Amino acid sequence: MNIRIWEGRSAGAPKSPQVSRRSFLRSSVALTGGLAAMAAALSPLRELTDEDEFTIQKFLQKHYKEMTPEDMEVALDRIRREVEKRYQVRPDIRDVRAKTGVEFVYALNLSRCIGCRKCVHACVAENNQSRSPEVQYIRVIEMPRGTLDMEQGNHHYERPTVPDANHFYMPVQCHQCANPPCVKVCPVEATWQDADGITVIDYDWCIGCRYCEAACPYWARRFNFTEPSVPKEALNPDMGYLSNRPRPKGVVEKCHFCLHRTREGKLPACLEVCPTGARKFGNVLDPTSEVSQILKTKRVFVLKEEVGTLPRFFYYFDERYPQSIDPEAAAIARSMGIEPRPGEGVPA
Amino acid sequence: MMPSRLRTETVLWAIGPLFALVAVWLFFFSPKAEIPLGVSRPVAHSDILRGAWRTPLMDARESIVDGIKRPCSECHRLFAPSQAENRTLMQHKEIVLRHGINARCLNCHDGADRDKLVLHNGALVGFDQAPLLCSQCHGTVFRDWQHGVHGKTMGSWDAASGAQRRLACNECHDPHSPAYRPMAPLAGPGTLRMGDQTPHESHAGRRSPLRQWSHGSPAHGDADPSGTSDEDKEDEP
Repeated sequence: MNIRIWEGRSAGAPKSPQVSRRSFLRSSVALTGGLAAMAAALSPLRELTDEDEFTIQKFLQKHYKEMTPEDMEVALDRIRREVEKRYQVRPDIRDVRAKTGVEFVYALNLSRCIGCRKCVHACVAENNQSRSPEVQYIRVIEMPRGTLDMEQGNHHYERPTVPDANHFYMPVQCHQCANPPCVKVCPVEATWQDADGITVIDYDWCIGCRYCEAACPYWARRFNFTEPSVPKEALNPDMGYLSNRPRPKGVVEKCHFCLHRTREGKLPACLEVCPTGARKFGNVLDPTSEVSQILKTKRVFVLKEEVGTLPRFFYYFDERYPQSIDPEAAAIARSMGIEPRPGEGVPA
Repeated sequence: MMPSRLRTETVLWAIGPLFALVAVWLFFFSPKAEIPLGVSRPVAHSDILRGAWRTPLMDARESIVDGIKRPCSECHRLFAPSQAENRTLMQHKEIVLRHGINARCLNCHDGADRDKLVLHNGALVGFDQAPLLCSQCHGTVFRDWQHGVHGKTMGSWDAASGAQRRLACNECHDPHSPAYRPMAPLAGPGTLRMGDQTPHESHAGRRSPLRQWSHGSPAHGDADPSGTSDEDKEDEP
């Protein structure tokens, strides 16, 4: 059938159209369909603004692991220009590599966490996460006391004050697993586990298939459904290539233990803002580090141990709740005319 | 034959541009995907300040009473120390003493030298030596603190870097009222999957597992009958 169309075309004199109505319609529909499909495929180009650089260099940028230092410098220069154009801020962006002899581990004291959500918002500010729609790496789950059944957890607690005497609070973020399912499912190797245990993402390599998001048993990954919006005055110019540089639309992101800070010896933002000291971070290969001490001396557990992900994020607790006091001590206090206040003394 | 061919040609010339117009329309005016942005509640910078939770008095000479900076001893040498247990304070009215059974001023403050704290063995230490004082009763917590298991560390995770600083007891706890005050939580999540997920009637009567956390929905109450009553309880004094 097609042959006949082309025959008609090649015969081509307008005076003697051998093309039949049927074949013309067929070819026109095919042509229009093709054009429309191409138009639809190209339509994202309409959304490009002056702020986006669309260069051959960006298009041909190599995978992070294949980039030479010169390639990286070119890429960093391009990101610097893009950020400056968009936010009018010159970013201090660098490619911070993992140190040898370091394996990062996080520990979180459930007895001390009061559910104030400061870590959530300090993380958003540090890591240039989108404010609208909201992208947050840390979820604080309010759980009824006496159970670890996550089904009973609640993200949306709105109380005048926390903590509530009948609940405990469990922040969850990327566990930087030693056996990460998210890395296994990535079809393009845009995410991988670095030498210090941090699972990182090359935002320029991610194709946005969201397989990793589905594979993560901790719901730690976030997808940018739209262009992330960060207010210019709120942009954090202290940036790492693999961490908190502005992300484009359509890529996945997650907690990276603030690697642009921690690989330079500093502490993660969520830890520095925690008012109760519930968060601990350090090098597990150093036997004197805080996290090593915790793993040695405290009762520690990992979330969803049975799925075999070997998290580097440990929960632990003290021998007793800080919100409760010994009933005997409470009785002595009462005999002295001191009434322990609810929330500060014995649980209500 | 001729009129029919003419008609065919006319129709074809009319349809061709029509298809082209459709293609052009698709390119320029194709409908954009509606992406819900959710609700976002920004947080003030002052709510996420990093570092020590409170600024304690580390030096008795820096003491400020009624807006005047004077060493503690300057006033206290005028008054004899009182051993009374729960005397109503005439000065220092901002101090709320809620330290369990440790309810005497002179358990920690030295009666003779008001610029010092006194240990059980009679040794005097400065205000900046609070952990030594606290450790006398809170031994297990002090041991944890020494190893960085309790308390907060600032600066660096690497002790060898020299930049590490472990905050003292009184940089988090008020020595007179050491238990943490309940505080208002910051804004909850409004992310796409975690935002308001009030169940819709159109869900054929079944709830999506993603929708079980919405406030106001009976889902939480179903799982835990006491769950809904918590909210009421908390308003009670």
